Amino acid sequence: MSLLMSQPKTEIASNVVATAAFDPPIVQPGERAVYRVTFNALEGSIGWPQKVAAPAELALRAGGHGQVLLFNGTNFVPRTTFNCHARAPRLGHFTVPEFTVDVYGKTVNVPAAQLNVLGARPASMTPAQQLLFEVPETNLYVGQAVKVRVLLASTPTGQLQTLMQVQVNGDGVLVDQGTARQWVGPVRRGGSALAAYIYETVLTPLRTGKLSAFAQGFSAGNRLSAPIVLSGPVVFPAGLQYTLLDSEPVELQVRPLPRQGELPGFTGAIGSFSLDPPKLAANALRVGETLKLLVTVRGDGNLARLAAPPPPQASDWQVFAAAAEASPPPPFVALAPPPAAPPASATFTYTLVPLTAAARATPAIPFSYFDPKRAAYVDLTIPPLPVTVQPGAAGGDWQALQQPDRGPAASEKEPGLSELAAAPGLTAASLAPVQRRPWFPFLQLAPAAAVAALWGWDRRRRFLEQHPAVVLRRRARRALRRQWRALRRAARAGDAPRFAGAAVAALRVACAPHYPADPRALVGADVLPLLSRAEASAGDLRAVEVVRRFFAVTDAARFGPAPTEAVELLALQPELEEVLDQLEKRLWA
Amino acid sequence: MGNWKSIFQVFLPALVLIFLAAPGLAASADALFQEGLAAYRAGDYARAARAFSEAAGRQPASGTLQNLGNAQWQRGQTGPAILAWEQALWLDPFNRSAHNNLRFARKLAQLEPPDLSWYEVVSTWLPVNWWAWIAGASLWLAVGMVLLPGLLRRRKAAWHQAVAAFGLMVFLLSLPAHLGVHTRARIGFVLQPDTPLRLTPTREAQALTRLSAGEPARWERTRGRYLLLRTSQARGWLEQDLFRLICPP
Repeated sequence: MSLLMSQPKTEIASNVVATAAFDPPIVQPGERAVYRVTFNALEGSIGWPQKVAAPAELALRAGGHGQVLLFNGTNFVPRTTFNCHARAPRLGHFTVPEFTVDVYGKTVNVPAAQLNVLGARPASMTPAQQLLFEVPETNLYVGQAVKVRVLLASTPTGQLQTLMQVQVNGDGVLVDQGTARQWVGPVRRGGSALAAYIYETVLTPLRTGKLSAFAQGFSAGNRLSAPIVLSGPVVFPAGLQYTLLDSEPVELQVRPLPRQGELPGFTGAIGSFSLDPPKLAANALRVGETLKLLVTVRGDGNLARLAAPPPPQASDWQVFAAAAEASPPPPFVALAPPPAAPPASATFTYTLVPLTAAARATPAIPFSYFDPKRAAYVDLTIPPLPVTVQPGAAGGDWQALQQPDRGPAASEKEPGLSELAAAPGLTAASLAPVQRRPWFPFLQLAPAAAVAALWGWDRRRRFLEQHPAVVLRRRARRALRRQWRALRRAARAGDAPRFAGAAVAALRVACAPHYPADPRALVGADVLPLLSRAEASAGDLRAVEVVRRFFAVTDAARFGPAPTEAVELLALQPELEEVLDQLEKRLWA
Repeated sequence: MGNWKSIFQVFLPALVLIFLAAPGLAASADALFQEGLAAYRAGDYARAARAFSEAAGRQPASGTLQNLGNAQWQRGQTGPAILAWEQALWLDPFNRSAHNNLRFARKLAQLEPPDLSWYEVVSTWLPVNWWAWIAGASLWLAVGMVLLPGLLRRRKAAWHQAVAAFGLMVFLLSLPAHLGVHTRARIGFVLQPDTPLRLTPTREAQALTRLSAGEPARWERTRGRYLLLRTSQARGWLEQDLFRLICPP
């Protein structure tokens, strides 16, 4: 805590002052100038406007912005700069008017600044310092790392400054600060050789399409800690200026990696790579012992982010995922160009365990990379290495691994896009499952209804078994209706004998349930008691007479010596129907 | 009587039409399937995707949906491709090609499969429609074996009880799978890359996270044109055009 308290404080000035100026203040038509506004306040506290009001003919485009903390002996003083790039197409004087900005919740005036566009620049005026952002390739593949350079050349008089807080800004790009190197070296500009401060880093596009990136940094005089050995007319100016410089944006065209032709073992490596001969820690071992396999990959891609190929599935070996160790060129700070160094490398260390003494070589490990120059995937499979495996006292775990059916190891192959199905295969009326369709509940009710019907039928059957009279009466009613229809047909045909026979049969079947006898055995005397009981209340004996006559005529026709005339019975049909109607009602009782 | 007559007059022709039209639909779906195959082999993936999509619309089939997924994948449409393969597995979980394609696509796109609970995993063992038929058949088999011998005046035998117990067991075992089918029907996939999942169902709402094409999510409810979704990262609202369920409602 005391260490923390002893640190210099950041000074939050109560009196925030803004300065605004064009750099350089005098340009020729079409030449670029930087409109630079500086505050003595923290960047996060400044409400910088999205667009700065400027004359219509002055094209003003937002540039970089950043903050630097200056030590004044006791405290850190923040200094924040916003850059805009300006170009004027014609001669004249262009003024960005005064405007206000919120800083620490208070309003701060940004003074007006004037850009003078003249036909020729005064000889006494030195051109503004320009930051250059060099990207060797702008047509890239997504994930392809590319070395980029930020250069700050010395002035023609030989004055050179270094940069601090160098940034490469842009949406969809990743800048690997861990690989940054910086040095002072010669560059050619305008036909003459100049010394330049060079900052080199690695940029990786993360998405496809058109991307834009630019560099920025604060000029910082000589902030290098290395010993200064200068050859040539290079002068570091006295004092620190901390001017925010930014470059013109560079557009990148980023394409996706092709899916066609992808090889096994591709882990996202893009560039040009080569393998050193793989090394084994030993060339003879026993079953169950571990063996280290070292694989060194060299190349020009971003090896710090190179992922090791996944361990293969082999029947004789258990292979564990590799541990990766990258050794890119170390961060370099010098006042001379970096010496020629061997290509950066990454080393993968696999741990292998032989499962059987039948193993004669380590398994091949599929590995591939994408070569952007050839626009193709290149196979870089780690080759098998001969090894001698002797039987050993393998533990239970290793015994289990040696079982022939190792499940995932056998079945989990490297997946790939399958061939097309030759036939539509299993079809359905809809993707909605049948239980969610409206007809399904009704379908389930059908067996329920069948069971209910079966149960009802069974109950009825049991009831009828216990009450046989119900069945007899039902049968009698059916037989009565049958004979009734027959006697009506006979009456319509005028067939008196058939009419009489059907009438007697109808009387018999209508009375049969009341006697434990066959209907054919009944005689008129059996019918009359039923009839008289039925007629007792009515007091009408006409029906009794009708019954007697029908039985008499039919008995005479059947048993008598001579045929009896039955024609007269046809006239009794209405009375007969009344009798039958009454007998039928008794059957329903 | 008149009612019955009118019912017959309306429904009988409709039934006849359905029976006549069904083979026609199948035939046109088959023709579209063949057209899709030819277009795919000629490298015209957009036309192939259109043909397979129409064929699947007329008659959903596992192979058609698998091929639709392949065509969409070749067009760079990761979300629709994963959706089509998942639908192929929804109809036919024995489709190994669709399984492999999903593994391949998810590995390349660095996507996770849907996080399924145990009863949802059980429901993936058989085609979704089979569970309903198995449950219905096993339930009525059990009920029938208990009731029918008595109703038909047959002597109850040991095998009647064994079959009834078996039917009841199958019915009870199929219930979790039923639940799994029900909950899996609410799983869907994001169709477009870099899709914002919003805090509220409005266009201007704060984006909670951005979802990749093919990322799974569970639908909870709908409000206007927005769906409330639960993903592995967050719970928020998404425009319904950017998301499709395995089993459209």
